[in-house]
Amino acid sequence: MAVRSIRIYPDPILKQVVERVEEVDETVIAVIQDLVDTMVDSGHSVGVAAPQIGELCRALVVDVSKSKLGKDNNHGLLEMVNPEIIEKSGSKMMREGCMSVPDYTGNVTRAEHIVIEFTDRAGQPRVIEANGFEAVAIQHELDHLDGMLFLDRVSSLKTDLYRRKTR
Amino acid sequence: MNHFALTIVGRDRPGIVSQVTEILFKQGCNLADSSCSILGGQFTMILILGHPEFTNRESFGEAFKPLEDADLTVALRVLKPGGEIRPQIEGDICMISVYCSDKPCIVYHVAQVLSEKQVNITDLNTKLVGTEERPVYVMVLEAVLSEGIEEEDINRWLAPVRDELQVDITVRTIPTVEL
Repeated sequence: MAVRSIRIYPDPILKQVVERVEEVDETVIAVIQDLVDTMVDSGHSVGVAAPQIGELCRALVVDVSKSKLGKDNNHGLLEMVNPEIIEKSGSKMMREGCMSVPDYTGNVTRAEHIVIEFTDRAGQPRVIEANGFEAVAIQHELDHLDGMLFLDRVSSLKTDLYRRKTR
Repeated sequence: MNHFALTIVGRDRPGIVSQVTEILFKQGCNLADSSCSILGGQFTMILILGHPEFTNRESFGEAFKPLEDADLTVALRVLKPGGEIRPQIEGDICMISVYCSDKPCIVYHVAQVLSEKQVNITDLNTKLVGTEERPVYVMVLEAVLSEGIEEEDINRWLAPVRDELQVDITVRTIPTVEL
């Protein structure tokens, strides 16, 4: 139960592919709790993946319910272990920013609808359908588990990378 | 560190980037920002360079002569201090696509409307696409909407251009999200 500091590129942990979790034990639950605490503490974040807090654990949390873009279409707080997208369709472009790549945003096109399976905090398998901003947020966080940053997804620096709006 | 804007234009062929950047590397220049692309049959390079000692055009001596000998046009602009720093432009990002079958100066007409409303254009590309018999002229521009300006305002302001020139215009804001 702790707010952790966010790892920032070029921290090598952000470029690692994270192994699957065998069992949702106390260690994994502790990581999930830290992810939630860190996300909530940042105020503006809608998702954090374990490598961002320095944990090589295939887990992420997403909660878009408090954001303007996600408040009407969401599953509340999602805690996912071993998430895997099993279906995707549509496309949606958003200008993404990431706490691990401060000060820049880039246009990224991702699937607008996804079906994703994962194991929840209780160790139960679940499958949900996510749409819009929630789907984008899950895909962004899932990339972190595969050592991918949004910088790997932008097509052109000149038009896509832009200094982030100050909050 | 002093900064310079270097532009290079020449008939496209493999090897231009390599030749240019080898010279810059050997001169001890840092590449701070750049955009290079093929426009028509020309390869064009626009580079913002930094150098710890060079102060003016003469500092580079004959460094660019091999490029001129290779039929590339080279222009160097000495930047005033701070000229290398991108201004912080606040606001939502808006993409505007304009296309039509003819070329009724769409860039000018759209830019004029945006300029009147103090909308800042941050990126602009035009291309001639389609076939020779049925060419399509396309412009995609990115603008930053300052506070109080919405997507609907841009649509309303551009409506006369759309009607008078018979062009297709779509406007879409891209939400910026913190993940």
